[in-house]
Amino acid sequence: MTTIEKAPSQALAEPPRGRLAALAPYTSVLRIVGGVLTLVGAFLPWATFVLNDGPYPEGATLEFFSEPFGVSGFRLHLVLLGLASIVVALVPVAAKGRIVRGFGWGVIAISIVNGLYITVEGGGFGAITASDGTAAFGAFVALVGGVVLVVGATAGGIDPPTHWDLKLGRVVEWLILLVAYAIVLLLVAAVLTSGGQGGAANPFSGAVFLSFLGAVGGAIAGLHASGLLGWIARMSERHRIYSVIVLLLAALALPLTSAGTEYWMTVAANIGVYAATAIGLNIVVGLAGLLDLGYVAFLGIGAFVAANLSGAAASVVGIELPFPLVLVIAAVVAGCFGAVVGSPTLRVRGDYLAIVTLAFGEIFVRSAQNNIGGLTGGSNSIPNIPPVELFGKGFNESVTIGALNLPSGVLYYVLIVLIVAAVMWVFGNLKNSRLGRAWIAIREDEDAARAMGIRTGPIKILAFLIGAMLAGFAGAFFAHKLGTASYESFRFLESVTLLAAVILGGMGTIPGAVLGASVLFVLPEKLREFADYRLLLFGLALVLIMRFRPQGLVPDAHRRAELAPESEAPPDHPDDGPAGGTTVKAAAT
Amino acid sequence: MLSTLLSQIVNGLVLGSLIGLIALGYTMVYGIIQLINFAHGEVFMVGAYGALAMFTYLLPTFIQQQWYFALPLLLIAGAVVSVGVAVAMERFAYRPLRNAPKLAPLITSLGVSIALQEVIRVFYPGATAAIPFPNIFIPGTWTISVGDGVVPIKYSGILLVVVALVLAYALNMFVERSRMGRAMRATSQDRDVARLMGINPDRVIVLTFALGALLAGIGGVLYGGFYTNINIDIGFQNGIFAFTAAVLGGIGNIRGAVVGGLAIGLIKSLAGQYMPGGSAYDYVWIFVVLIVVLVFRPQGFFGETERVRA
Amino acid sequence: MTFLEVRDLTVAYGAIQAVRGVTFTVEQGQIVSLIGSNGAGKTTTLRTISGLLRPVSGEVLLNGKPIHQLPAHEILGLGVAHSPEGRRLFARMTVEENLRLGAYTRTDEAGIREDIDRVYDLFPVLGERRRNKAGLFSGGEQQMLAIGRALMSRPKLLMLDEPSMGLSPIMTQKIFSTVRELQSEGTTVLLVEQNALAALALSDHAYVIDLGRTTLSGTGHELLADHRVQEAYLGEGVAS
Repeated sequence: MTTIEKAPSQALAEPPRGRLAALAPYTSVLRIVGGVLTLVGAFLPWATFVLNDGPYPEGATLEFFSEPFGVSGFRLHLVLLGLASIVVALVPVAAKGRIVRGFGWGVIAISIVNGLYITVEGGGFGAITASDGTAAFGAFVALVGGVVLVVGATAGGIDPPTHWDLKLGRVVEWLILLVAYAIVLLLVAAVLTSGGQGGAANPFSGAVFLSFLGAVGGAIAGLHASGLLGWIARMSERHRIYSVIVLLLAALALPLTSAGTEYWMTVAANIGVYAATAIGLNIVVGLAGLLDLGYVAFLGIGAFVAANLSGAAASVVGIELPFPLVLVIAAVVAGCFGAVVGSPTLRVRGDYLAIVTLAFGEIFVRSAQNNIGGLTGGSNSIPNIPPVELFGKGFNESVTIGALNLPSGVLYYVLIVLIVAAVMWVFGNLKNSRLGRAWIAIREDEDAARAMGIRTGPIKILAFLIGAMLAGFAGAFFAHKLGTASYESFRFLESVTLLAAVILGGMGTIPGAVLGASVLFVLPEKLREFADYRLLLFGLALVLIMRFRPQGLVPDAHRRAELAPESEAPPDHPDDGPAGGTTVKAAAT
Repeated sequence: MLSTLLSQIVNGLVLGSLIGLIALGYTMVYGIIQLINFAHGEVFMVGAYGALAMFTYLLPTFIQQQWYFALPLLLIAGAVVSVGVAVAMERFAYRPLRNAPKLAPLITSLGVSIALQEVIRVFYPGATAAIPFPNIFIPGTWTISVGDGVVPIKYSGILLVVVALVLAYALNMFVERSRMGRAMRATSQDRDVARLMGINPDRVIVLTFALGALLAGIGGVLYGGFYTNINIDIGFQNGIFAFTAAVLGGIGNIRGAVVGGLAIGLIKSLAGQYMPGGSAYDYVWIFVVLIVVLVFRPQGFFGETERVRA
Repeated sequence: MTFLEVRDLTVAYGAIQAVRGVTFTVEQGQIVSLIGSNGAGKTTTLRTISGLLRPVSGEVLLNGKPIHQLPAHEILGLGVAHSPEGRRLFARMTVEENLRLGAYTRTDEAGIREDIDRVYDLFPVLGERRRNKAGLFSGGEQQMLAIGRALMSRPKLLMLDEPSMGLSPIMTQKIFSTVRELQSEGTTVLLVEQNALAALALSDHAYVIDLGRTTLSGTGHELLADHRVQEAYLGEGVAS
């Protein structure tokens, strides 16, 4: 007979260092060497001859010798990242390793993007190694520098980002936030315009854009590690309303920046349409957890309603109503369809519901394609929808206010920013309301929610109804902005894209859908060289996101646990069954 | 007219057999890992292209001209390509998500579906448009005179129906009688206990994907032979039909998938002939049927209620 | 050499540690029981031994060799059969199919046939209804089938999780006498039971698991006599 007494075994968390542990004593040296290599790489030539499509941007060719220290473009970014790494390595700051690692990845991205582009466009390694006896090892040296930075940073151990507790006076914090959002605005404008519009005249725009993205990403990773971004985020959380107003103003100020061209206004307006729709979908999928694979139909319904009420020649209804009224009608009609599509949720759940929504989406597309009731124009679409007008001013015209001359499309941009803001406001309020909590409860466990007295049926239909209304709203805008409404814009692939926007951004979060839609629409615009591979990359991206970051870019705090992979499924049964008292007695006899 | 009706029924049965063949893959995969594998339609499409590629680029002319040489070779090529693709996608896309929440594999399957379609569109020469498919069976049509008209039956259609039914029967025997089939059923009923029986679920799941792909690849070749050309959209379109068929028959049920497929084929051809709107709306009627079935009898014709996932 | 040794096992479901420091040994030919209250971690321990769960730390040694990193289907091949809690039969398959699944890893058709007949001898009711679906059976019959299924792999170690759960007293006795019979034929049995009295009376050795830890151990009779065990697990059944 023994009594076993034992303390619970406690697993001690070892600082994870892995294979790089041997390098730990040399971290500082490695970081400085990496920084220096990056600087050297920036000042070396990157191409050995002028490429067929013209000189590689920022004088990366041999011509650079004519102006050796006039670094600009990606070489300037390398210089900045390299210097910053050296400074961080020498100065005592917290979370050094993480900061330098961010910078290092930025350097790697820049050197790979530019090196690859020069190689591919120049027709082989000769473009960056040797030609006519001249070597251009800039890309290699910078790449090695970046790798050394990352290795040096990781070997010293990666601390979590620093947490700043500093609190300042209200006015000071407001000023800081104002500056921060102004910087964000300029950064967005710079990212959008970097490399300019792609095309035959500007063959390297994709490279410049990707390289810039790498530089910005590296810098942001470093700043995040330093704790600055977290500090500002908490500050904006403290001044919520102020932040929202400033952010809205910043969005409205985009036309005043370098991105204020007709082209970018159009792209931004399209992003806005899909962002608003994606927010609606986010209610259905992200909050209520009901997968909808035919969601773009509601955008289409909104668009066709608006087209028919616009006075366009092809419309059968033939009445013209003022735009605000059209917006409301489109939203209401789409909402009604949403309720219809949502009604099977009373009986159908999970995967089967996804199929039902897909079926509704297909029915919509087929019907629209066949010009059902003459309402959709069929394959001719409904063309010549007049632009929105207000006080006699067409929204497609350019605007001149005093000396300020704004391109056409600006008014649509302003309108869609306001619409998206309104939709975000609706979403934010819903999420934190009684209804939102009911949706989340249904998402987590429908049976439990019902057991707690939530009337799940109507509430699920309400999710579809509200989501569809938001999409219909966006659809009405879409029809007027585009000038045509065609079934081609509302196919299954668009539904998948919307779903991808929601997932990429982060399900159930307010900025998630906007962020996701922006990424999914900006990238194809900027990378037109790859237009042929766009869908292929999109499909692969879906697979990779689900594998490596299913929670999206901005994970929802609630949702995080749910989408994290489980190590083992919990047991189906409670650990042990009920005690059988009678059995004990009987067995004893 | 009777001959029209009979012709449409023949069309419906041919299409229905094909859809049933694809539906078997959906129903087995769903039965075992509860995943709607949207990419399964693409597996069918890839099989057709794989066979076409072999015919165009590998077969010498004298074999191309003899259907009894070409047909088996094409069937094998289609099956091999489809099985290869399906096994690879199970291994690299779905297996890592085995314990992930259900949404993740579903969206992954959408991604795989898009990617497969695009791989063919971008890399297969000429795939941006429909490509003619070689005639791989006795060409010609058997015509039956009925009253005032004729009912044409293509020989390749007869081949499709016969092969589909034979394969479905063989699959049913395999699942019901063989040791591996028993392991498949066990894994679909209770994966943990199946492991306790010494069954390796990963192997069973990969086998399930492979079997479904085998049928789909063969289906792809027969599709090409019957419809005489293929394009990259055939996978998604027929895939959706096949999924509908699987649900209609009761998901997880082999007989159900075949019956469901025949029902879908008949609905499409008869609705296209007789319903208002004509063939432009045949598609719509299938989805209407799908919705009605899912709402009112989600377990399908043959599904057992206990098997239905609420 | 010790047949089965479980050393300082810790198992967690996510952040929740269901087992934190279970240690025990099973010698060849013994009947060993794990007893304890609801949620003590007994089922989790068995699921870890059979490979359904991975331990966070600790070891499971079979004949001195660690098996806790092996997948479940390989552990069965080493001679460990696990009849899970709640029986978990393949309800939509026949009795015979269930038994054949138990023998999944074997390929000797004659031997399988022989063993199926042996199970029918052991539990004649199964033989009478061999073509019936397992889901239609009563609790006791299902338990017989579950044990029979576990025996089909000819295990060296048979792990039974709550074989008496939900059974009538007569059926419970029948099951336990079968367990003793199996022992006499040379099978080692690891038993998890809530019916502590019956289990202890049967066992060569037993361990008490409480809150995920082994707290007491001894022969079955020692534990039956221990007042802590009597108070906590036997209740008034023996006190009277």
